[in-house]
Amino acid sequence: MSRQSESIFTANEKDILQEVMNIAFGKASADLAEVIDIYVVLSVPDVALLNASELAGYIGSEIRDFERISVVEQSFMGRFQGVALLIFPSEAGRKLISILGQEDEQSALHSIALLERETLMEVGNILIGACVGKLAELLDDQITYSPPRVLVEDDPRATVTRDMFDPDSTAIVMRTLFSFENENISGYLFLITRNESIAWMVSALHSFMERYE
Amino acid sequence: MISPRIFEVINIGLVILDPDLTVRHWNRWMELHSGIPEAEIVGKSLFDHYPNLNTTRFTKNCKSVLTFGNFCFFSQKLHRWLFPFKPVTSFAGMFDRMQQSCTMGPLRDDGNAIRQLFISVQDVTEVAAYERRLVELNTRDPLTGAFNRRFLDARLPDECERHKRYGRPLSLLMWDIDHFKRVNDTHGHQCGDEVLKSVAAVVGSELRLTDMLIRYGGEEFCCLLPETQIDTAAAVAERIRACVEAHCVKCGDETIRITISIGVSELDSDSAEQEALVALADKALYEAKSSGRNRVVARLLA
Repeated sequence: MSRQSESIFTANEKDILQEVMNIAFGKASADLAEVIDIYVVLSVPDVALLNASELAGYIGSEIRDFERISVVEQSFMGRFQGVALLIFPSEAGRKLISILGQEDEQSALHSIALLERETLMEVGNILIGACVGKLAELLDDQITYSPPRVLVEDDPRATVTRDMFDPDSTAIVMRTLFSFENENISGYLFLITRNESIAWMVSALHSFMERYE
Repeated sequence: MISPRIFEVINIGLVILDPDLTVRHWNRWMELHSGIPEAEIVGKSLFDHYPNLNTTRFTKNCKSVLTFGNFCFFSQKLHRWLFPFKPVTSFAGMFDRMQQSCTMGPLRDDGNAIRQLFISVQDVTEVAAYERRLVELNTRDPLTGAFNRRFLDARLPDECERHKRYGRPLSLLMWDIDHFKRVNDTHGHQCGDEVLKSVAAVVGSELRLTDMLIRYGGEEFCCLLPETQIDTAAAVAERIRACVEAHCVKCGDETIRITISIGVSELDSDSAEQEALVALADKALYEAKSSGRNRVVARLLA
């Protein structure tokens, strides 16, 4: 299976995708700072082509240093479609509560657990939207998003992606490390592209290159 | 063109805004629920009619949509509503406002540039009402109507967390009915149930709005008093004790006099450990029992 996927997505295309992501995430983090006052550093992204059945193991080993995690999961739909996973250490929700500038009457009205969860969801929604949005913009696509979900897991390895994909399908996994500058929080962002959009991705990457040739 | 009519018949509120948050479109659903005709609101800032939306959080979400083209979701759980409308379903009694689930997203031109944003508003009052009912069922003791142990186990860590974060005091009363076994043995278990119900009702009516009455198990109860220091908590406890003593429980033809013993403690601000809070209140309750019952004993961490 993975040999087959190599043939549909070449090393050259992988390099282009990495470069496009680099540009997209750079723009995302610049705009987040300038427009929304959220200061986040995104590392140089990494691209892997995996069989869907290998996904859980791959993500599990990437995040093995985290003891307990909170995951924000959001599906996105366009010609570019898949799932975004934002993985935080579990104490992140508490630290992030002030980032959207609230701490108003809401803190008294709701349980702290709910407040943390909703904060993760809202910050996660913006961060995922920024990264996926900029990527889609460069590749000339339009995206619709499902509402994000927050999962709290005791065991990171038992987490995510279990039933998300047909085990026989191939996924492009884009991984980046992010950290909020002023909050001392870092985590991982995974964008997992569905099998169905790989063909589109290949042609979109080529038309992206043509614009520069 | 007939298709734009969808805006006027769909059972969802639709608002279209310019990047400066001036209203450009206000569909019929919004007109009907807000009482504001489209002609009146179009061209004005959304905040003119809805100053409640003029928060950093809301504007950050708008900017995010205009910059990245993402969607923002305003859940009923956190926000309850964005637009203060009257509820229209038969659950109106439960909520003073229509509960809403709102989504904000981008509108693009042919060149894929984001020109405007939309907000869709869905009435989820009915769902919220069912959810609230389920939560009630899950957190209440059916006999006495007090909160149950499950509620306490979920709420206590939360209150301790709030204490840690905001430094607000938190006190706990641990109490039980004196010689309850004797009530059961003498008057039967139905009377015992009546006593539990009646005493819980008396105590409940003496508590303040923010206090919580919880059935800990059997004839043992506790009261969680947020924002309360031990001196005030002891005064509340004494008031409760006196009220129960003065109250007669009627069971069939019989009238039963009941007393309760109460242990009081306050969360220690250094450790903020819930186990210590409960243990201390328990110890105080034991002291109240062993020194003659029908009394209040308050203990702070030595």
